[in-house]
Amino acid sequence: MVIQKSFCKKLLPLAAFFTLLISNLFAQKIVRYDLYVKDTIVNFTGKQKRAIAVNGQIPMPTLTFTEGDTAEIYVHNELNEETSLHWHGLFLPNKEDGVPNLTQMPIKPHTTHLYRFAIIQHGTHWYHSHTVLQEQIGMYGNFVMLKKQGDPTFRKGIDDLPAVPVVLSEWTDYKPENVHRMLHNASDWFAIKKNATQSYGEAIKAGHFKTKLKNEWKRMLAMDVSDVYYDKILMNGNPSTDITSIDGKQLKAGDKIRLRISNGGASSYFWLTYAGGRITVVANDGNDVEPVEVDRLIIAVSETYDVVVTIPAENTAFEFLATTEDRTNSASYYIGNGIKQLMTPQPRLKYFEGMKMMNGMMKMNGDLDDMGMNMSLNQMDMNVVMYPEITGELKKKGDEERKGMEMKNDHSNHSDNQYNSNALSDIVTLNYAMLQSPTKTNLPKDAPVKELKFELTGNMNRYVWSLDNKVVSEADKILIKKGENIRIILYNGSMMRHPMHLHGHDFRVLNGQGDNAPLKNIVDIMPMETDTLEFNANVEGDWFFHCHILYHMMSGMGRVLSYEKQAANPLIPNPKLAQRKLFADDRAFHFMAENDFATNGNDGMAMLQNTRWSISTEWRLGYTPHHGKETETHIGRYIGKMQWLMPFIGFDWRYRKMEKDGMGMIKGEKNLFGQTNTKDNRRQFSLGVAYTLPMLVILQTEIYHDGNVRVQLMREDIPVAKRLRMSFMLNSDKEYMAGFKYIVGKNFALSTHYDSDMGFGAGVTINY
Amino acid sequence: MKSIILMAAVALLSTTACQAQIKNAKTATVKVYGNCGMCETTIEKAANKTKVSTVDWNEETKMATITYDSKKTNVDAVLKNIALAGYDNQSFLAPDAAYNKLPGCCKYDREKKTAMLTQPAKDTMTTMQNHTNHQHDGMVNATQETNQLTAVFDSYFSLKDALVKTDGTIASAKAKDLQKAINAVKMEKLAMDVHNSWMKVLNNLKEDAEHINITKDIAHQRDYFMSLSTNMYALIKVAKPTETVYYQYCPMANEGKGANWLSKESGVKNPYYGAQMLTCGKTVETIK
Repeated sequence: MVIQKSFCKKLLPLAAFFTLLISNLFAQKIVRYDLYVKDTIVNFTGKQKRAIAVNGQIPMPTLTFTEGDTAEIYVHNELNEETSLHWHGLFLPNKEDGVPNLTQMPIKPHTTHLYRFAIIQHGTHWYHSHTVLQEQIGMYGNFVMLKKQGDPTFRKGIDDLPAVPVVLSEWTDYKPENVHRMLHNASDWFAIKKNATQSYGEAIKAGHFKTKLKNEWKRMLAMDVSDVYYDKILMNGNPSTDITSIDGKQLKAGDKIRLRISNGGASSYFWLTYAGGRITVVANDGNDVEPVEVDRLIIAVSETYDVVVTIPAENTAFEFLATTEDRTNSASYYIGNGIKQLMTPQPRLKYFEGMKMMNGMMKMNGDLDDMGMNMSLNQMDMNVVMYPEITGELKKKGDEERKGMEMKNDHSNHSDNQYNSNALSDIVTLNYAMLQSPTKTNLPKDAPVKELKFELTGNMNRYVWSLDNKVVSEADKILIKKGENIRIILYNGSMMRHPMHLHGHDFRVLNGQGDNAPLKNIVDIMPMETDTLEFNANVEGDWFFHCHILYHMMSGMGRVLSYEKQAANPLIPNPKLAQRKLFADDRAFHFMAENDFATNGNDGMAMLQNTRWSISTEWRLGYTPHHGKETETHIGRYIGKMQWLMPFIGFDWRYRKMEKDGMGMIKGEKNLFGQTNTKDNRRQFSLGVAYTLPMLVILQTEIYHDGNVRVQLMREDIPVAKRLRMSFMLNSDKEYMAGFKYIVGKNFALSTHYDSDMGFGAGVTINY
Repeated sequence: MKSIILMAAVALLSTTACQAQIKNAKTATVKVYGNCGMCETTIEKAANKTKVSTVDWNEETKMATITYDSKKTNVDAVLKNIALAGYDNQSFLAPDAAYNKLPGCCKYDREKKTAMLTQPAKDTMTTMQNHTNHQHDGMVNATQETNQLTAVFDSYFSLKDALVKTDGTIASAKAKDLQKAINAVKMEKLAMDVHNSWMKVLNNLKEDAEHINITKDIAHQRDYFMSLSTNMYALIKVAKPTETVYYQYCPMANEGKGANWLSKESGVKNPYYGAQMLTCGKTVETIK
């Protein structure tokens, strides 16, 4: 694939808007790129799927500039849908930032948009579509800005090394819209694909039955470190790449290579490891850091790291391995010439150890309890309990060594290092505290300070992600003043880690390095961590601050920071319309439906839900009159952070021919409260409330307009084994149901159940 | 005759049955390093995937025949799995951790691995996988270790020559030299795989050498020489001789059960019969 790149070397007079001092010796250069965004068909897995290519390639072409250039990037939208491009980590005027409906209107189909801005920084960055889920299907690319000649920060032995830009990404054969929908519907299909269902059966086998029980008691679904199963992991668009020469020069033993790595994955963190020895980290998020040698590092979604690796032996290529955080998949670069030395793959996670850890951290009310550990900067990683390479391989029952391990763990239980992987093992893992800027990064001293505090909130069961329990559309813009020093204190009270990204500014991460705190524009924050960031507000505009996991962002996990009294953005002619469109992202409803075609009737449900609202209909359709037909429709609103409580209004309709008794009279049915109902063509309005009890049992209490009361206990999808689910229901109308479901495919299951109305049945369940 | 036809038919059927499982089948024969039958099981288990690939590894030739579905996989993907199980092959070197996990008898020589260039690089590797220390020591001490065992092998060859000449007195003296050479070996300096192999044969070597030493009866000496040769063979396979060595076999020795010996020459000079049947036997393996 050829990069179409057209330079227009024009000598322009020094532009007035240029804020940087440029030596008169160097004429300002305009670097022009033309990007043609077009639908394409790809085949990563043996199946043909739709993707988006730019200039005919995935990833998008690497854009290279030198500090001091002016970038002119023409985006030709040849799609039949809107698009946009965001220049991740760049300092630029707000209207060039590329967030549709915030900094510009979307680029309409078959139109061209020009992004024009001065390059006033250097470093490894990347760019991607900020429009819906386009980033998942190909719209990501490297964006490299080189230091200009004579830059005083030029580092010999680092900045002059041969360099390779690498953008990491993932591929799924499912449409991203479908992935998003499945996540919101708590589908466990991805867990099945990853072999991470963590069912009761598997728990018992692993000797962790109690752990699983406690987990469900605390109302948690099986947790994983990441949400989506991907078919392929890609580095520059390929699962495996040989790199034998750079710029025409053959690689040989002793050569050092700089990899400029961006994580363009939509939702995957990657472990980076190298078969040829340690990895030297020299820059992060485009900003130089003092070189630090590590055995491995994790790169958060949308972060960039510049690393230097050495080829340690002749006639050998060494594997540079990027493994997803859940360790189900990886991609490789083989660096050097000759036989390929493989890296030890990251061993599989010990899920039940993780579950046990979560049980310990989770309070009954859904808050997290850090047990006074004051965690920050990724130094303590609760997940180490799941890492066999740090905390030991999973031992078989009765193994003597296991006892030894547990003893050891008991001893360290109260020490600070229980979760510090660098203290627990010889493997050096990078954390933010190890990053140090080579230059002082202090903010202006006399500027007023504005402090903002956010708690990262959310729940996995309903896939709702927010800040302070409010999504973008529920919160006001946060006003800041130009010249202020803004300090943001983040606490992650959710159960997942989040890479929080700020547009248009670099912030200092206060990490104990004093004046030399590193500059970043993404901070990965793990559950229960608190991190403090600060930056000087120096560019007007509306800047997005959000979680960069694509599906979290689309669910509304973010805020807009807006400068007070700023000039209107010329690219947003109708701010109200723009805002409505921006808010539409997290207000969207997600649809799911399920129907069981069984021998004794049709059972099914359909549900539309978004962040707060749920509209659902259930039906049971018998094949004979006395089996009857019934539907129940509920419209409810989820309350609270954990969304365990949902008051609703309902409408029921039932039709059922009752059997006659000996006297020829129609029998009414009495419920537990002695109330009678006929069920024969019954239409009822109801008010009710559903509450999720420990063990994830839903208690639903309803009062109908005729005064009848119904109390119901229900639990669906109890994970019995990897693919086997059990469900039960019983209520005060003396109805009950129990059933099993074996999940065959994403949308298909075999099922059997016994129903008090319809008796025993078996069939197939189709779900969407 | 009938049974032969039947067997042939069964064999034919089973091969077609095997191949029928893999569609778009392609076959490649590639080098995979390994030692023993146990290796064969591990290699084949790592690479066999229902309906996608099957592998047949030959212990003698170290060649693996890979049959695979060319639409679903390729040779490199199969070889990568083999390497991840611990076995170097023509495309991939196993991770050190995987190699170190192999049972002692499977620790084949890693011919393809080149020494790390610089001191720092070596340090890096050792800290990275903390159990690889032996591996690196092994590489650094490779020459030293061969020197140590060279004395043992040389004494053995002298002893063998004495037996070829049917000279019990010299054989006894050479056995004494062999004993000395064995005792002189500093086993802690041996590479890990050689060390393992050494530990296994050490007691038998000592015993056999002693028995040959204390008698001048050539018949007795030849009896002990049989087991001595078998153990020497096991050792030299792992330790690698400095020059080519031939493993030879005489079907008549050991009362018709056959016996082996090692020689530096390809031509057969039978130590079990000497001049009686000097050239009886053949070379069964060439060890380089």
